[in-house]
Amino acid sequence: MALGANLNAMAARVRACWRRTGRALFSPFLAALAIAAHADNPEGIAVGVFAFQGERAAISDWSPVIEHLNRELPGHRFHLRNFDADGLREAIAAQSVDLVITNPGYYVTLETLFGLSRIATLQSSHAARSGQALGSVVLARADRVELAKLRDLAGRRVAAVAPDAFGGYLIAAREMLREGVDPESAVRETRFLGLPMTHIIEAVRSGEVDAGIVRACLPEQMARDGLIRMDEFRVLSPRRVEGFDCALSSSLYPDWPIAVTRHLDPALAKSVARVLLSMPEGPGRASWSVPLDYQPVLDLYRDLRVGPYAYLRDITPEGLARRFWPWLLGLLALLAAWIVHTVRVEHLVHQRTRELNDSLAAREVAECRARDNQEKMEHLSRLSILGELSGRLAHEINQPLTSIATYANSLLRREAAGTLTPDALREACGEIANEAERASGVVRRIRHFARKRAAVREPVDLFSLAEEASRLMAGMLVSCPRIVIEWEGGSDRDVLCDGLQIQQVLLNLIKNAIDAARGLPDERQGVRVRLAQVDNRFVVQVVDRGAGLDPAQEERLFEPFFTTKPDGLGLGLPICKSIIEAHGGRLWAEANEDGIGMCFFFQLPCHESSA
Amino acid sequence: MNHLPENCVVHVVDDDAALRRALRFLLDSVGWNVRLYASAEEFLEALAPLETPSCLLLDIRMPAMSGLELQQVLSERGIALPILFLTGHADVSMVVQAMKSGAADFIEKPFRDQVLLDAVAAAIRRSAEMLAEAGRREVVRRRLQTLSPREGQVARRVALGEPNKVIAAALSISEKTVHIHRQHVMEKMGISSAAELARLMLLADAAALD
Repeated sequence: MALGANLNAMAARVRACWRRTGRALFSPFLAALAIAAHADNPEGIAVGVFAFQGERAAISDWSPVIEHLNRELPGHRFHLRNFDADGLREAIAAQSVDLVITNPGYYVTLETLFGLSRIATLQSSHAARSGQALGSVVLARADRVELAKLRDLAGRRVAAVAPDAFGGYLIAAREMLREGVDPESAVRETRFLGLPMTHIIEAVRSGEVDAGIVRACLPEQMARDGLIRMDEFRVLSPRRVEGFDCALSSSLYPDWPIAVTRHLDPALAKSVARVLLSMPEGPGRASWSVPLDYQPVLDLYRDLRVGPYAYLRDITPEGLARRFWPWLLGLLALLAAWIVHTVRVEHLVHQRTRELNDSLAAREVAECRARDNQEKMEHLSRLSILGELSGRLAHEINQPLTSIATYANSLLRREAAGTLTPDALREACGEIANEAERASGVVRRIRHFARKRAAVREPVDLFSLAEEASRLMAGMLVSCPRIVIEWEGGSDRDVLCDGLQIQQVLLNLIKNAIDAARGLPDERQGVRVRLAQVDNRFVVQVVDRGAGLDPAQEERLFEPFFTTKPDGLGLGLPICKSIIEAHGGRLWAEANEDGIGMCFFFQLPCHESSA
Repeated sequence: MNHLPENCVVHVVDDDAALRRALRFLLDSVGWNVRLYASAEEFLEALAPLETPSCLLLDIRMPAMSGLELQQVLSERGIALPILFLTGHADVSMVVQAMKSGAADFIEKPFRDQVLLDAVAAAIRRSAEMLAEAGRREVVRRRLQTLSPREGQVARRVALGEPNKVIAAALSISEKTVHIHRQHVMEKMGISSAAELARLMLLADAAALD
């Protein structure tokens, strides 16, 4: 049971597999089977015919040929199948026809597409000596004397069968092209009236069109049938070909061929060819000759860029546009996207540049304002210091000075007048001495005040102090140059001092260093603060790359009220010096070794933690 | 006249005692009669009606009442005393205020002695002039007070230049009576013309003829 079920399941899987893959894997095999089956096919050998005049006409035209074949080649069961142009092509593609009879135009197309090979060409009774029998005649009404040549058709209305009709359009179209009239663009209008071609003749006769294109020999046939008279019409660009008796406006081309498809057994093809060539001529019966050269037909197609050469149209701009429009569209889209991208990038660049400029300008303005404010602040603080000095200290010194001067002048005055008494002299001199003492008392108080501040001494981390000074400076200035702090020395960075005062000294020296490089190029900006421990002393260097000082300036550097700055008070360095000296240290300045800028040194004794 | 230096008083108000004494030493040497005050309040307490040419040397900055405040008080009391301000350092707004209020001069400490002495002399001269005018005005006032009410009415109209006939009509008295009053006014005032009468009346009271 179990085994049987397994086998069933396996068989089902194999069948499913067959269904899935069979078509793809075995289609060549199946095709071979199909070909083999044709010989014994109950349907026999299908002869596909292009039935341009309808099924009935085709049957009447070609049934003698089929009958002949069936008679000469019994056991094959030849039969006719009628198609329009597209149907014939599909049938060949589907391999449902074995022999093909069609007009020369379609034949060359199918030859290129499906590899048909002609085995015989229809031999018509009215053929020229070369065997060629297909041509076009272009007719105009006899009274239209202005129409003599095909080139006269430029700007005229022309009637024809169909755009792909061989004798009914293409042959004449090629001749027009040869005469310099593009049949597609130079004529005013081409009316395709379809079959039967007699419509075209009637349209010409009624004046509906200026000229009509029909297969050669059709007018003669109609005249024979009494439908028209040849003298009602004139033939444009008439030409004569030896052995060809119909009115003609074109070269002649080979007549319809019969061709075999690739899948037909070559031996049978050979037999069919033999039978057709041996088919007897007779009135109303088609006869066959050896296959003619269809190269002129191909040339025609190439000249007109139709049929197998339709791709040649694509080389013209509009042709290319037609063929490649999706690509072109894509290309255009890409181009448009690229342009949009470029424009956008350009726009963004402009915008960013403008924003950058704006922000730079805004920063400039802010800097200017900050600078202004700072200048105002400095000015105000200077004024207030001056105010304080003159308002209090200066007043206090001014009073005794005024008294002293007054006494002295009075003494001179009395002496000159001879009224100076010893008492007055004593009084005045006593007062002068007192007032001088008073003035020095004021000075003493100031110094006492300073001394009182210096009394603070606590361990302070010198490095942190320098960092804080740097931060403070960066906070005070809008565009503070780089301040580098370097520590070279031991682990003990504490110094016993008044941190505020030492910071004041550092700030002062850093500010001086920055000021010294003001207005110089960038590489001259920047301040280095070097902290080092040498023996039992800290040495601090504040190094700038600024303008430096000449020897005379250097000599007076620490004098009170000496300044190199236009708005300086000249008290900074003297105060720094006195602060450092009050700490038992020393402050001095040297030009840098390379001669660029100055270095200010100060040293402080180390904090002896054990002491 | 009566403004020999020893008759003229220079009042010195300064909170700095040494400077006060120095100023007296200097002013004494020229012969001015110097009086010293340690504050504005002390000066106001001792203030008596002016009889001799005087001036005031005043420190602009003082604790309690400042120099400017004292100037204000004196102005309110109608005391015509030229003031010389002493100042430690020029304070523009103070100077402007003081000068607007009629300060005679400004002297910055420390000063050149000659500058101070010249300024004092000028102030004393001005004081003397003011005293003289005040004296004249007082004489005229006293004389005007001797006029009877009717004489006063007539005098005002005469000073304004009205003819006797108009005055008689306005006061409803005879022209002859007007003439008699007029003669009495001229006699009492010690003058002989209507123009002189007008000048004296304006001297006594600037608004007398309004």
